[in-house]
Amino acid sequence: MTEIGFVDVAISLSLVAVAFVVSRFWKVPVQKEMSLGVVRAFVQLVAVGYALEKIFAIDQIWLIALVMLVMLAVGAREASVRTKKLSGAFWLAFSSMTTGSVLTLAIMLATGLFELKAVIIIPLIGMLVSNSMNAATHTINRLYENLTDNRLAVETALALGKNWREASQRFRRQAATAGMVSIFNFMKTVGIVALPGAMTGMILAGKDPLEAALFQLIIGYMLLSAVTLTVVMVLELTVRRFFTPHDQFRPPVRL
Amino acid sequence: MTEGHTTLSLSHLTRAITANGTRRVLVDDISYSFACGTVYSVVGPSGAGKSSLLRLINRLDEPDSGEVRYNDRDYRELSPQELRRHIGYLFQTPYLFPGTVSENLRFAEASLTDSQIAGLLDQVGLEPGVASADVDTLSGGEKQRIAMARLLATQPSVILLDEPTSSLDPTSTRGIEKLIKRIAEERCLVAIMVTHEPEQAVRLGGETLLLVKGRLVEHGPSEQVLNDPQSDEGRRYKGMELS
Repeated sequence: MTEIGFVDVAISLSLVAVAFVVSRFWKVPVQKEMSLGVVRAFVQLVAVGYALEKIFAIDQIWLIALVMLVMLAVGAREASVRTKKLSGAFWLAFSSMTTGSVLTLAIMLATGLFELKAVIIIPLIGMLVSNSMNAATHTINRLYENLTDNRLAVETALALGKNWREASQRFRRQAATAGMVSIFNFMKTVGIVALPGAMTGMILAGKDPLEAALFQLIIGYMLLSAVTLTVVMVLELTVRRFFTPHDQFRPPVRL
Repeated sequence: MTEGHTTLSLSHLTRAITANGTRRVLVDDISYSFACGTVYSVVGPSGAGKSSLLRLINRLDEPDSGEVRYNDRDYRELSPQELRRHIGYLFQTPYLFPGTVSENLRFAEASLTDSQIAGLLDQVGLEPGVASADVDTLSGGEKQRIAMARLLATQPSVILLDEPTSSLDPTSTRGIEKLIKRIAEERCLVAIMVTHEPEQAVRLGGETLLLVKGRLVEHGPSEQVLNDPQSDEGRRYKGMELS
């Protein structure tokens, strides 16, 4: 692929113009959102592009760690908003996402599959954090809904002498499945329905398709690992907040 | 009381909750001693604290002060799991876990044999064949009986029943009442049942506790408390002046 510049981006805007005209002609009222999306995406991506250029040039461990921390904090903040502000959701999401992402990344670095270089690690962190964030959000939301909607089932189990873990088992399992459904679907359809981003990017950059596929497999397994660790951790941390030390059911409030 | 029989007593049991900045006392300084083999009806107007009292005895809620003594021990000395296997609780709406009747009974007691399951079903007046039935195919009365059998599976010595007949027809209601009386007498259980029907308490016999605004205002033989109350609140409750 040839080098890409702002002129090329401007050319690609012609596609947006076509979509704009078509939607307007058919009176589909999305023009405002489209315009906003175009400007927003441009500003965000160009800013990130410039920032990454600098970060990759500096290429220091402390800077990689700092970027990771910021990504995790922003991700956890987003997760806490999406969990309808369940009290303490930020820390639930932050600690579980950090565990899932950092542990996965650490294992990959230890095996020597990836070098500790900003240009490699930061895009990987982005993928790990965004997938972990979605998994944490879905898990917390489903667990909250399941437990509060099934109060009688939970208390019936407690009243029969079961502990909090036994009383919540069915609902924890369902929440874990909800948290992991995206990654399971990804694994099911990958390569068949669509070529995933990393693989597409490598092929467009002129790499051998098999090499791109193998790289994508590694990414897929990393995501599966990070998501699983995040879901396990967030379940453990969240479910305990629904029970007192005396196995009494006390759902946390939503702010 | 015969030596070795279950004892249950409440001493100055109190619980309050604060909602929207307002403190509301649910159970107010209740002291009482229960004997096994007797059915105790807990009656009172809505919001009197009847269900709250049962939840405290089962330790589904924590008292603010006071204590529950079970067999002369503070019930906090037992783990919540152990306590709840001794002090069973039947909710107003029975919840049966998805699956078969026998799976539900084994949820309470995993080691139950088929013959023990048949025995439990027999005690609650159901045929052994029901064991393999899916719980979704049962009637309301049958579900309540299965919930009762499941409650008995852990061999509790105290059973707490929160309006167990409120959604049943008169025939099923009479059946459950007879069952509770028989089980309490045969197994020498302490049976404490919340009811919103004074007539039901009279039918059950035994003792009645009248609660008003969380306080125990009158207690004694059911016939006396409900038909010839001694307290002002008792008379007002009888005259349906308390809602």
